[in-house]
Amino acid sequence: MARMKFLCDADRCIECNACVTACKNEHEVPWGINRRRVVTINDGKPGERSVSMACMHCTDAPCAAVCPVSCFYTTVDKVVLHSKDLCIGCGYCFYACPFGAPQYPKVGNFGSRGKMDKCTYCAGGPEADFSTVEYEKYGRNRLAEGKLPLCAEMCSTKSLLAGDGDIIASIYKERVMKRGYGSGAWGWKTAYKETVNV
Amino acid sequence: MTTTNEKSDKSGVDRRTFFRAGSGAAMVAAATVVGAEPAAASETQEERLKARYRESDHVKAFYRVNRY
Repeated sequence: MARMKFLCDADRCIECNACVTACKNEHEVPWGINRRRVVTINDGKPGERSVSMACMHCTDAPCAAVCPVSCFYTTVDKVVLHSKDLCIGCGYCFYACPFGAPQYPKVGNFGSRGKMDKCTYCAGGPEADFSTVEYEKYGRNRLAEGKLPLCAEMCSTKSLLAGDGDIIASIYKERVMKRGYGSGAWGWKTAYKETVNV
Repeated sequence: MTTTNEKSDKSGVDRRTFFRAGSGAAMVAAATVVGAEPAAASETQEERLKARYRESDHVKAFYRVNRY
């Protein structure tokens, strides 16, 4: 059974933010939040690296472990999704997530946050596939259409990879072998308790 | 001397009947709107967890171009 993963080849990322924009447009993500963002370290200095970050759909997801209303569930594809009908916006998942993925579009006075929003791996949510309700709450369900997350599909430098973990790991290995260097599969150890050995 | 009911009987429709009919029509309209969106129903537990990924031609093309 295929295990869905993200892999950002940091040696190829040019911080164009197309993944961020594509995601925001595809899912009509509310103002003020992004499901994906690009983080740059050593900006403007030698050795600068950029990494595109979103929910990594962890094995044994910490967000699910701390959720007091158990609104998270992991599909057979190992995509971590959540129900906005159950979410109470407590914010525990935000504190637990090592990648800062959970976002709150309706932060209000007195600590109210509304329903949590995060990357769905373009796999929708617990509503019926392709329904209007699913689109409004969680965005488009590309996985059910036989496609992959749009952020990865439209990455101009092919830095962001998505799909079957074994296949994208082999693609990354090929690249590293060919060019002779690689900065590693960023976040894999934290998210999947494994890494890509080249 | 005539009572309120008698007055309304003469005019054909009294205030309460009018609003009762109005609320009934609103409920029918609401039911029609709900009925028009059957896809809004949540999935069962099995449907939620089922695999959606498949290695379609689209996905194979993605893997292929990423090997360049």
